[in-house]
Amino acid sequence: MKLLTGDWDKPNSWALDTYKASGGYKALPKALKMQPQQIVEEVVKSNLRGRGGAGFPTGMKWTFVRKETSFPKYLVVNADEGEPGTFKDREILLKSPHLFVEGLVIGCYAVECHRTYVYCRGEFRDSAMKRLQTAIDEAYAQGYFGKNILGSGFDLEAHCVFGAGAYICGEETAMLESIEGRKGYPRLKPPFPANAGGGLFKQPTAVNNVETLANMPPIINLGGDEYSKIGLVPKNGGTRLYAVSGHVKKPGVYEAPMGISFRKLLDDYCGGMREGSTLKAIIPGGASSAIITAEEADWASDFDTLKAKKTMAGSGAVVYFDQTVNMAHALANVMRFFAHESCGQCTPCREGTAWLSRLLDKIVAGKGAKLDVDNVHQIARQMEMKTICALADGAAMPAKSYIEKFRADFDALVRG
Amino acid sequence: MIPLASKGAPVQSPFTPEQQKRFDEGFERAVATYPSERRRAALLAALHLAQDELGWLPEPAMAYVGHRLDVPPVRVREVATFYTMYRLRPVGRHHIGVCNSVSCWVMGSEKIIRHCTERLGILPGETTRDGQFSLEEVACLAACGSAPAALVNNFSYVENVTPQSLDALIKKLRDEPGLTMAPGPMPRLPDPHHHDERQEAPQATGSLGQPALTTAAEAGSTERKP
Repeated sequence: MKLLTGDWDKPNSWALDTYKASGGYKALPKALKMQPQQIVEEVVKSNLRGRGGAGFPTGMKWTFVRKETSFPKYLVVNADEGEPGTFKDREILLKSPHLFVEGLVIGCYAVECHRTYVYCRGEFRDSAMKRLQTAIDEAYAQGYFGKNILGSGFDLEAHCVFGAGAYICGEETAMLESIEGRKGYPRLKPPFPANAGGGLFKQPTAVNNVETLANMPPIINLGGDEYSKIGLVPKNGGTRLYAVSGHVKKPGVYEAPMGISFRKLLDDYCGGMREGSTLKAIIPGGASSAIITAEEADWASDFDTLKAKKTMAGSGAVVYFDQTVNMAHALANVMRFFAHESCGQCTPCREGTAWLSRLLDKIVAGKGAKLDVDNVHQIARQMEMKTICALADGAAMPAKSYIEKFRADFDALVRG
Repeated sequence: MIPLASKGAPVQSPFTPEQQKRFDEGFERAVATYPSERRRAALLAALHLAQDELGWLPEPAMAYVGHRLDVPPVRVREVATFYTMYRLRPVGRHHIGVCNSVSCWVMGSEKIIRHCTERLGILPGETTRDGQFSLEEVACLAACGSAPAALVNNFSYVENVTPQSLDALIKKLRDEPGLTMAPGPMPRLPDPHHHDERQEAPQATGSLGQPALTTAAEAGSTERKP
């Protein structure tokens, strides 16, 4: 079932005409005739879970924003795609920017936001963001932005802003800081962004991922209940864009029902592992998720199943590793990333990620001892749940799981 | 609040008249993005504009941006040093950033970085003596499906990079003007954003030499031997 990617194989899939020819911008007039509260109720029924990584129910988030009595309210889009392995939002912006734009207008109407910001990562400026800006300009010309949209009395202006290369700005409160013109230090919560005092310019703010909003047109067109049924697991509605990379025959972004197993995703969508490869390990939801083994490939990929299995569905970035990869080397790579990207605000993360990275570099250089491996595990455990944002947890989760599930790879590199 | 830059000595613009015109146009657009009482929020955008003109952010450019937005110098510095896309010293006119995050790494990005090092005679974080090229190892570019990926001159994506396509790219770039780069100090110093301990030991030789490089990368390579 293709709710989001139906146009992707067409020439000029990003063009307004292409989008309209396949039924685009039909959901918007329908949505504008509904009450905002009705839209939120449909989204609640749809069981749409935030596609940025945390999987928070989007309808519930919008309900929180709607309950606030402080105005103005904002909707801020997180297009700061940076989790290693994730590349779905860039594909949406490059291939179907109008789908996202239509969803954005519907989302803003639902939370009664009249000024929205799309925060793109800086590297996208001349590619994905340019295409988005073109789509926004076209939408303005069609009357989908601006004053009194399609005669509904609803006003909305959209602004694209961009970052300057900081993974931490994908964390929602760090992103708000960055939009406000500061360094991206995550904020202490509560107040949460949805609440007065916690959002953009201290106003109630819905922060949503690009893919989450791209799901609005299908939800309005199908109705929340129908949309929800597409998901294979209760409370995980719709389809999801899986960004698959690694040693597979056909890497790419695939739209599949939410909750598809990693085995089925590999075999039915990606053509299996590349020639001569056997599956060894899978990153199920971006570099900060706990690794899973080939034997666990039958697990469903939805938010709740993976949470119960002590990993996470995260951003939908799935990386398949074959037998040639030593997991200690892979972890050393992942940890260098986190050590570099830790913003430095909280000591357990600033010191912990750097310490882990140094230990792992020592291990993969063949200079480590068994004790170093134990220390990596121990330090990772001590970093969890001690910091303002989840970056430290996102570094600890792989550190622990790579060692627990692939200890032999580490032991092969160290002295007694 | 710290006394603002505007209260001190007059701040000189670092731009030529032509650059000034482009900066001013972009600046007005950036400020208009925000509610009028929030114009300081345009700091990131203004620093990008300055860097577009000068290639990097010399001290006078930071002072000038702060002056235009009424942002104290310390806060401009704080932002300029926090985000890795802002350059605190000049880089080459062609800047090649090779992604070495996990998806690119499993597809052989370290081989690509090594190839760059051999071709250009510089390590990641360095600039060639003639100021033509600089090389950097960058974090995930969100192009993992077409790994290994690279980013040229801050904003251009190059995907499915191979040693051959890289050679062609370097050849092509040599004939292009590339980034404007305002003069600045010590181009061969490593980028201060770059704290990679692996690079302390090996040293590359000059731009044509055969660098005797054995990095930890080789030990960590996941490519299969033919």
